[in-house]
Amino acid sequence: MSAGIYVHVPFCLKRCGYCDFNAYAGMDHLAPRYVRAVLAEAALASPAWADELFVSVFLGGGTPTTLDPAGLKGLLAHLRHRFHVADDAEVTIEANPDTVDRPKLEALLAAGFDRLSMGAQSFDPSVLASLERIHEPASVRRAFLDARVAGYRNVSLDLIYGAEGETVESWERTLSETVDLGPEHVSAYALTVEPSTPLGRKVAAGVVPSPDPDLQADMFTLACDRLAAAGYVHYEISNWARPGFECRHNLGYWERRPYVGLGAGAHAYRDDRRWWNVRPPEEYMVLVESGVLPVGGEEHLEPSDAYLEEIFLRLRIFEGIPASWVEAERAAPFLESGLLLNNDGALVPTERGMLLLNELVLALAG
Amino acid sequence: MFAIGDRVYQRELAPPEPGGRAVGSYDRWVVTDSSHIRNFCIVAHIDHGKSTLADRLLELTHAVAARDMRAQYLDKMDLERERGITIKAQAVRLAYRSQNRDFELNLIDTPGHVDFTYEVSRSLAACEGAVLLVDAAQGIEAQTLANYHLASDAGLTIIPVMNKIDLPSADPAETARELSELVGCDPSEVLSVSAKTGDGVTELLEAVIERVPPPAGSRTEPLRALIFDSSFDPYRGVIAYVRVFDGSLPSRSKIHLIQAKLDAEAEEAGIFAPEATPVAQLRSGEVGYLVTGMKDVHLAKVGDTITLAGKHRATEPLPGYREPKPMVWSGLFPAEGGDYSDLREALDRLKLSDSALHYEPETSLALGFGFRCGFLGLLHMDIVKERLEREFGLELIATAPNVEFRVIRGDEVIVVHNPSEMPVPGTYDRVEEPVVMATIITPSDFLGPVLELCQSRRGELLDMKYLSPERAEVHYHLPLAEIIFDFFDHLKSRTKGYASLDYEPWGYEPSDLVRVDVLLHGEPVDAFSSVVHRDKAAQYGRAMVERLRGLIPRQLFDVAIQASIGSRIVARETVKAKRKDVLAKCYGGDITRKRKLLEQQKKGKARMRRVGRVDVPQEAFIAALRVDQRPSGAKPS
Repeated sequence: MSAGIYVHVPFCLKRCGYCDFNAYAGMDHLAPRYVRAVLAEAALASPAWADELFVSVFLGGGTPTTLDPAGLKGLLAHLRHRFHVADDAEVTIEANPDTVDRPKLEALLAAGFDRLSMGAQSFDPSVLASLERIHEPASVRRAFLDARVAGYRNVSLDLIYGAEGETVESWERTLSETVDLGPEHVSAYALTVEPSTPLGRKVAAGVVPSPDPDLQADMFTLACDRLAAAGYVHYEISNWARPGFECRHNLGYWERRPYVGLGAGAHAYRDDRRWWNVRPPEEYMVLVESGVLPVGGEEHLEPSDAYLEEIFLRLRIFEGIPASWVEAERAAPFLESGLLLNNDGALVPTERGMLLLNELVLALAG
Repeated sequence: MFAIGDRVYQRELAPPEPGGRAVGSYDRWVVTDSSHIRNFCIVAHIDHGKSTLADRLLELTHAVAARDMRAQYLDKMDLERERGITIKAQAVRLAYRSQNRDFELNLIDTPGHVDFTYEVSRSLAACEGAVLLVDAAQGIEAQTLANYHLASDAGLTIIPVMNKIDLPSADPAETARELSELVGCDPSEVLSVSAKTGDGVTELLEAVIERVPPPAGSRTEPLRALIFDSSFDPYRGVIAYVRVFDGSLPSRSKIHLIQAKLDAEAEEAGIFAPEATPVAQLRSGEVGYLVTGMKDVHLAKVGDTITLAGKHRATEPLPGYREPKPMVWSGLFPAEGGDYSDLREALDRLKLSDSALHYEPETSLALGFGFRCGFLGLLHMDIVKERLEREFGLELIATAPNVEFRVIRGDEVIVVHNPSEMPVPGTYDRVEEPVVMATIITPSDFLGPVLELCQSRRGELLDMKYLSPERAEVHYHLPLAEIIFDFFDHLKSRTKGYASLDYEPWGYEPSDLVRVDVLLHGEPVDAFSSVVHRDKAAQYGRAMVERLRGLIPRQLFDVAIQASIGSRIVARETVKAKRKDVLAKCYGGDITRKRKLLEQQKKGKARMRRVGRVDVPQEAFIAALRVDQRPSGAKPS
């Protein structure tokens, strides 16, 4: 089956207040050692994956572009050496606008990173400020144009909506600017407040209001409308792409294809087993350096777990689930109220249904 | 071990002598003439120093050596102690020698809360005298008055005593004036003590001997003994606390309970001296305990009369007996379904030691299977609920407490304990509700706000007088339903904590009461039904609906929350349909976390109760039904 490789780079120039990813600021000095550790982990992990063909590689973070292009190039070459990576594999690297310039982008493209996923988040300076992002809207435009000039033909912009102070009008401007730049792919996420983050603590303390779910619903609807009008296909709840530019790697997660995860806290999946690496970079490196796979936890999916995953993952990519899987009376109220559609025997959420996906999943999975 | 008020004492007893009786058994208590006996109690407002005074009396009469005086907690009384009140009446015998005569003083403890007025009255009936104890810094309070009137109505000799005279803030002259005015004596007859230092306590004991009459009653008449309290010991069965009026009560005799119409065995008669000490018999005028071996505390009801079984039986019971009658009702339901049998078992066991607790099975559409429980008052209700939760590990939902209503239909009287059982208007002639006579003492400065509060609670002013230029006493006729919730808290907050309250039942009166129902999406929620006065019904409905709007989670459709009186909707709010419920972010292939979150959400849903089509979380029921305020009369802890 066509598998994926995920590499986690846990370094950031600065932690954003809303972010609960496994990322650390001020640890850049560990970068060379960390890259060596990932190479070592690849060597340890690859024998078990000898039979897989990998159709995607994804460098996420953190901020992978905090690493220097030479290191990244070596890393990718090494992955190709250790794993059976298809020649036409999709190779994505995440970037922050302020960590890339034209020469760097040229180097990355030359190194084989042919898909760029840029964290734009917003084109509204006040929204960027409230998200504690370090870049300015102008940086996004500059970095995007640099990418085009450098030769990138597959660029994705990440957006976040529903931060404190953001209005529908401001979101509409962000969408317009995005469409005007014309990336091949757009991810738009509703801001989620995680309790463990600085933002989560501020919300709990009542210093910052919790995002208004109704406003976020309006923003979601607006994104659907604007992006569809600009020719983007809504192929996953938070993802839109020009036809043919859907993110192959992320689709792998949702289609329950196998993937190997390398780096601190990275997740892997194959044959109803999910496992993940230890999160702290130091611990990760020490384990790998002593020749041990740095697994921090794992779970074996029971058939009921696998079924629940199948349902919620299929629903979120509009693939839907065969109507025959679900008793008719479970689906009926949702078909009636317009949250579900029956497309030739597949139950597919409508856009309104997408927003209530949890309810749909719980009702349909029983 | 024995308890007085909120103190519990323990003393090491020497081991029994070979073939003999335990050292510390009290032969010298056996007096032949009841002229040596004085039965008395101490009545006081909460915190006026009753327990400390009892300590001094015990010390002074050598009932307990000073070094043995240590207050300590007794497990089963945790709750009572935390609330700073006394629930179990106890009696202790004190040996006192005055002018070369040995006296037997029986100090009978009384509960101090309005919920237990009847129990207080029975304890008082066991005495001939009462020490009316007043904090010289606080002056007379509502409970002082209530207890004074109870004691005085019971024909007791009152000894007015000021306590805490050593306090800098004490105002003995003013307090003595208030007390003498209340009791109708000369201010010089008011005694001064400091229970803390012991000053004046000897004089008090002398006054008890001098002023309190010895018990009357005949030793030759058939036995008549009053049960003024009872408790349940898992090993020995029901223990009755008794005062013998006529005749004598020997250990190992066959007895008969006149009200319960029941024969039993007096396995052991004894006195508290201060430990439980068996005696051959309790005689006319004496106070002590009786181990009965009965397995159910309900059989030995407070106020019942014990006589001998057989031909020496008395026929006339002692006066004043009353069936313990619940004043406040509430539905108790297991918070998690399936605990119903645990709750039943817990209630069954609790009832063994709590004769005032009533319960009957109740089925609520919203809350499932539970019990409609009757309590003496809100405090009693709280204690029962806490004991169920603490001692039996149950998680409970309690519906809002209500009083008992009487629905009159022709000659028929329908007693309603549950608002959802209240018949629809038009199908009956009238409804009656319990009313009380409330006594409030307040600084005169706050008189306005106090009167306003009582008026707003459908009160009717009966009487008002000034105890002094600074303090006023008012009497109000008030519906019980108006004071069981938050009246006391409002009273306290309007008077900066200075006002005190007491009340006594005053029968039933017709009232324009209606049932207010709460509907979720058109379905009435029986647990939220309430019976309120028509003038306040709409206001109540609005408040309930508003409260629920914040508690009912958004559903997939708009949920109407309505309050209705009969078919008339008096309030409405809408919980808008939710539009967003999705875990949108999907990061680095961590599907596990997302699935776990979904499973959590599923569990949360499973814990909700379904009313029609609406999912209502447990917490919403608890929050909507919560009585935030402390019950009236209870001491804030």
